[in-house]
Amino acid sequence: MLETRNLDKSFGAVHVTRNVSLKLERGERRVILGPNGAGKTTLFNQLVGELTPDSGSVHLAGEDVTALPVAKRARRGLSRSYQKNTLFDGLTVEENLGLAAAVHTGNATQLWSDSLAKPEVREIVDEVANQVNLMPYIHAKVSEISYGVRRQLEVGVALATKPLVLLMDEPTSGVGPEMSKGFHDLLNNLPRDLTMLIIEHDMDLAFDVADTTTVLNYGEVVFDGLPEEARGSKLLKEIYLGSWEDA
Amino acid sequence: MFRHNSLRYAVLALLAAGALFQALTAEYFGLEILTEILILAILVLALDIVAGFGGMVSLCHGALMGVGAYTYAILSTKAGIAPPVALAASIALTGAAAWVIGAICSRSHGIYFIMATLAFGQMAYSYVFEAPIFGGDDGLGGISRLDLSFIGVDLNDSRSFALFCLAILGAVYGASVLILRSGLGRSLSGVMHNEQRMRALGLTVWRVKADVFGLSGMIAGLAGALAAQHILYISPGLLSWTVSGEALVVVILGGLGTLVGPLVGAAAFVVLKHELSAVTTYWHLVVGVILIAVVMSRANGIFGWIEARWGARIERRLADTTRKAEAKEVLTDA
Repeated sequence: MLETRNLDKSFGAVHVTRNVSLKLERGERRVILGPNGAGKTTLFNQLVGELTPDSGSVHLAGEDVTALPVAKRARRGLSRSYQKNTLFDGLTVEENLGLAAAVHTGNATQLWSDSLAKPEVREIVDEVANQVNLMPYIHAKVSEISYGVRRQLEVGVALATKPLVLLMDEPTSGVGPEMSKGFHDLLNNLPRDLTMLIIEHDMDLAFDVADTTTVLNYGEVVFDGLPEEARGSKLLKEIYLGSWEDA
Repeated sequence: MFRHNSLRYAVLALLAAGALFQALTAEYFGLEILTEILILAILVLALDIVAGFGGMVSLCHGALMGVGAYTYAILSTKAGIAPPVALAASIALTGAAAWVIGAICSRSHGIYFIMATLAFGQMAYSYVFEAPIFGGDDGLGGISRLDLSFIGVDLNDSRSFALFCLAILGAVYGASVLILRSGLGRSLSGVMHNEQRMRALGLTVWRVKADVFGLSGMIAGLAGALAAQHILYISPGLLSWTVSGEALVVVILGGLGTLVGPLVGAAAFVVLKHELSAVTTYWHLVVGVILIAVVMSRANGIFGWIEARWGARIERRLADTTRKAEAKEVLTDA
């Protein structure tokens, strides 16, 4: 469903992505681990088109999308959530989800009708609001909801485009353990045919949700395998999971 | 996303009632001032749509108004085209020109967007100033107004023309609300709040900006065609960047991104201009001081100040009244 071949990216002398090749099958849930500065978010930015790789290619559902801009990749089914909330702060939860659903259903440029009143948009808004537990806050403005709920909305907005592949950059970043557990359930309850690539620091979530695990270090894939294998990997403990066993 | 509230409806009703009263009772000079306010109000509504709801601060809306005015004037006087067709053509042509400007400028932001629109505006001004077909510095005269005699309306009468402009302004306001509440308007709002995210959701951002800029240009073109019919003479000064700057001052003075505010701003600006210019030739200085005070107060213009001061209070009072009425109904039923 999503494949990268030899992705390479440098900023001046800093080599941030080194020859990264990944292959995600349909419905696969892969977690990307790695210490700060390992190049995880830079990799995401190249996948969605916010950064252009120096070399290598990105393939979505068998099509080479490397030359496509962000919006076109998104319309082909590649959606992402951000590490820092990137929401529409002055709008309500419903309007946030509605904007994404309107783009997906082709109602975002309609002049003669309100996109949020369209049945197909409403259906997606209600479905996603239920999936990510946002119904109680549906009419609240983003500025009125808590940080944790905003993280849910961050994922919800990405989901409302009905993607083939969902990229999530640290979805539980900054939320407490209680809410983090809620996120596990939330992600596990998403449709099984949705392919997910997740950057995560929360080890419990990583191993609870992941089918497969990739570890990046200095922009390079140093481990690619099952979560159970990752748990036992000595290399991983050295570069990243030093404190994990104690946690 | 644009929303009406009780205060906005109340101010709109007051403005409409005041304009209607003035249109029905004023003498010639009063009617001329009213018509000037109404045409300026149409122009600043066009500007508020792009600047207040899309973050596209344009310095070419004066030029767009000029394109509408010249298109109407040339088609109706030199090409011999019937005024209604000339009016429709001026709206369509200005919209098309605005769409192209929007499509090009939407790749830039902030000060660069402002400068790019200014450059387009000045190019239009220079061309109209130099090209013989537009009459150069002398401008164009002999412009006729629409003929509505088939419904018994003589637009050559100042009162009828003022009422006609009022009706057009009402229609433009309604159309502006519909645009902002449409899928396109919602997307524009999304782009203003977070352009990067809208792009990541799959929206072709430049297209949304260009479409809205084009619609705004159509409204500016309409304002220009009305201005040409109002004065019956046009000159390149109509396309000058100072007209765009003045329109921006009016929007900020009234309340950016409120639709109602620019209407208040247009009335305040024209009345101030006429009253102050009767007293001093330095009236711009006074308007400047008022604008600085408005900007420094951080109240989003005159209407923003009213809304901040009275909006919540009025909504609370209305809610109380509704609750009391409901309680009374329950007691009566009991």
